[in-house]
Amino acid sequence: MRFSPAVAIDGLDGLFLDVEGVSHLWGGEAAMLDDLLARLERWGAPARGAIADTPGAAWALARYAKDRTIAPTGGQAPLLAPLPVAALRLDEAAQAQLPRLGLFQVGQLLALPRAQLARRFGLSTVLRLDQALGAAREALVFRRPATPWFDRLAFFEPISALSDLERVTGDICALLCARLEAEGRGARRFELVFHRLDGKDQPVRAGLSRPGRDAARIAKLLKPKLDTVDPGFGIEVVTLWAAEVEPLSSAQRGLDADDIDLKGGVGLGEGLAPLVDRLVNRLGQDRVWRADPHQSHVPERAVVRRAPLDPPSEDAWDPDRPRPARLLRRPEAIEVTAKLPDDPPVQFRWRGKSRRVRLAEGPERIGQEWWRKAFDEAGPGKVRDYYRVEDETGERFWIFRAGLYGDGETVPKWWLHGLFG
Amino acid sequence: MAGAKPALSALRAQIAALEAGTRTPPSVLPFGDPRIDGCFPAGGLPRGGWHEVGGAGLEEETSAAPAAFSALMLRPLAARGAVVWVMRRADLHAPGLAGLGFPTGRLIQVRARDEAEVLSVLEDALATVGVAAAIGEAESPDLKAGRRLQLACERRGATGVLLRRRPYGGAAGKIREVSGAAAQTRWRIAAAPSQPPPGLPGLGLPDLGPPRWRVELERCRGGRPGAWILEQAEAADGPHPFRLVSKLADHDVAAEAAPAPSVGFADSSPRGGAAPSVGFADSSPRGGAANAA
Repeated sequence: MRFSPAVAIDGLDGLFLDVEGVSHLWGGEAAMLDDLLARLERWGAPARGAIADTPGAAWALARYAKDRTIAPTGGQAPLLAPLPVAALRLDEAAQAQLPRLGLFQVGQLLALPRAQLARRFGLSTVLRLDQALGAAREALVFRRPATPWFDRLAFFEPISALSDLERVTGDICALLCARLEAEGRGARRFELVFHRLDGKDQPVRAGLSRPGRDAARIAKLLKPKLDTVDPGFGIEVVTLWAAEVEPLSSAQRGLDADDIDLKGGVGLGEGLAPLVDRLVNRLGQDRVWRADPHQSHVPERAVVRRAPLDPPSEDAWDPDRPRPARLLRRPEAIEVTAKLPDDPPVQFRWRGKSRRVRLAEGPERIGQEWWRKAFDEAGPGKVRDYYRVEDETGERFWIFRAGLYGDGETVPKWWLHGLFG
Repeated sequence: MAGAKPALSALRAQIAALEAGTRTPPSVLPFGDPRIDGCFPAGGLPRGGWHEVGGAGLEEETSAAPAAFSALMLRPLAARGAVVWVMRRADLHAPGLAGLGFPTGRLIQVRARDEAEVLSVLEDALATVGVAAAIGEAESPDLKAGRRLQLACERRGATGVLLRRRPYGGAAGKIREVSGAAAQTRWRIAAAPSQPPPGLPGLGLPDLGPPRWRVELERCRGGRPGAWILEQAEAADGPHPFRLVSKLADHDVAAEAAPAPSVGFADSSPRGGAAPSVGFADSSPRGGAANAA
C-alpha cells in the first residue's frame, strides 16, 4: 500500500504490485525497487523483485533471473529466453514433460510453432507464454481494486507530533479533493493510512452520508481520530484513499453548516448531512438511524433501521394498531391474577407493583411468522394475544398472553412488552 | 395575560432585547389554550431554549409518559426540520410515536454510550442547521452542561428537551435537581386516567380513551408554574397537539396567595420603581427570574 494502491497476493510467497504511474514518486523504477526490497529485508522478509510489462514476466524474472531485473518496455523476450521453463508458471503435467523432451529453456519454447505447442502441452502452456510476453491479458485479483483516487505524501523526516499529523491530514485531503473537484466527483468514504517507519500501518477512516469533496470537512472528520494513531518511531508516508466515488455537481460544494443558513434555500437533508457525518464517524454506523416501517406484524420486526438521509420508505405503520412508545427489548413476565380465558387480566403485578386494570382493549392476535422458522416454533403455542390495558393511575401497558388456553397441559404465560406514554 | 396592555408588552420586549443582546428574540410554541400559554412570558413554550421533562417513580427509569408528552409537544416543530433523539437505551418505538401523530420520517435516533456523550451529541444537534428540535435522555446534567445546551439552542433557535431518565434503573433518589436553573422550563409528567369513549358498556372492560397526562409545569423562567390534565387532541380540535381537560388548582393557589420564591422575586425587583405602576402586580416576573438564574 505504501508503494502502490494496487497489490495482489500471489500464492504463499509472492506479491504483485501495479506500479504503473507510481514509480516517478520514488525517483524511477530502479530506486523504487531497491527501496521496496530494502524495506522488506529490514522487516524480516528478504525478497527478490523484478519489474516488467506483464505480471507473468515479472514473476519469472523475480524468481529465476538476476535479482532486481528491470525489463525495458516490450523487451521481455530476450530476458526470458535463458530462463528455465519453470519460470512460465506451467501446470505440473506440462512442466514434468518439457524437460523429458529436451526443452529446458523458455527460449526453446518460443522457437517452436505455436500450434504444435498447444497440441502437445495444452492450451494453458501457450496462454502462459502469451501472458509472459504481453500477447494475452492476465487479470490480477488486487486486494483492493485499483483506483485513481489515491494520494500519498512522503516526508523527508519522520513525523510523530499530533499537530504534524493534523497538518498533513489537511494537506493530503486538499490534494485529493482538488483532484476530485477537477473531475467533478465526490467520494463517500475516505481512508487515511499512516505508514510507520517499522512498516506498521495505522488506518483512520471517515465516511460521508453524501458524496463530498470539501477538504476542510473531511479533515475535520478525520482529525478527532488521530489520537488513536500511534506514531511509534515516526511516520514517513501518509496515503489517502477515496472510495465510492460518484459524480458530484459543482453546485454542491461548500456544504459546511457554518456557511449556510436556512433562509438560503438549502434543503433539509443538505444541512443535516454534516451532522449525520459527524455522529456516524464518532459513534459508529449502527448508532445513528432513522426508523422506517417494515412489512411485518411481529412488533419487534416492524421497524427497520435506515441511514438517516436515505430516501423515505413508502410503507407506513397501520394507524389502527396502536403501538407503545417504549418497546421492551425482552418482554418481562407479569404475574396475573383473576385469569379469564380470552380476556385481559383484571389485575397484574409488574416489577413488584400490583396494578388493577381499569380499561382494556384487545385482543390483537399476532402469530409468529411461520415462514421464517421451523413449524414447531411457530405453532399455536407461540401465538400472542396483545391487549392494551390502562391501570387506575392512567398508566398504559401493552401486555400479551403467549399461547392459548385449553390446548394442552401448559398454562399460557403473560408478558409485558411495552409502555404507552 | 401576555400582551394584555400595550405599554407593558412594549416594555417587556425592550427588556427582552436588552437581555438577549444582539440575539433575535426567540419565537414561541403556543399550546393554543390561554390557560396554559398564560404561564409563559411570551405566550407559549419558548423556542431557542431547552426544557427539562421528568417523571416520577418508575417513570424515572421507563420514561414512557414523559417521552410521549415531549414527542407530542414538539410535534409542531417537526414540520420545520429534523428532530434528533439521543438516548442511551434504544427502546424508543417509532410506531408508537407515529401513533401520536409524530412524523417519524424526520426523526433521527442516536444511541450514545454514556451520559457525557448524550449531552455532547445533543449540543451538537441543537447547534446544527436543519434541526428543529432535539431530545436527549440524561440522568443528571450539571449546571455547566445546561448552560452549554442553552448556548447551543440559541445559535440556531432550536428547541431542546432533556428527558430526565435513569435508563438502567439503579439507586433511586440519585437525581440531582441543580440542572433546572439553566433550563427554560421544568416539567413533571405522569399518566392520568383516560376517559373511555362513550358507548354501550360491553361485557368486558371498557375501551381506552385518548391518552391523558397529568402535567406539572414546575418551573418556568419568567413565568409562573401551573398544573393541568392534558389530553391528546383529536384532529378536529385544531392544530395544537393537546386539549386541556382540567386545570389543577394547587399551583395557582400557591402562586397567587403565597408566591413561590421565583415568582415573588419580581415584587422586590429594583426595576419596580422605574417601571410604570400598571404592570407588575399582574405581570410576569421575568426580570426577577432571570436574576435568580
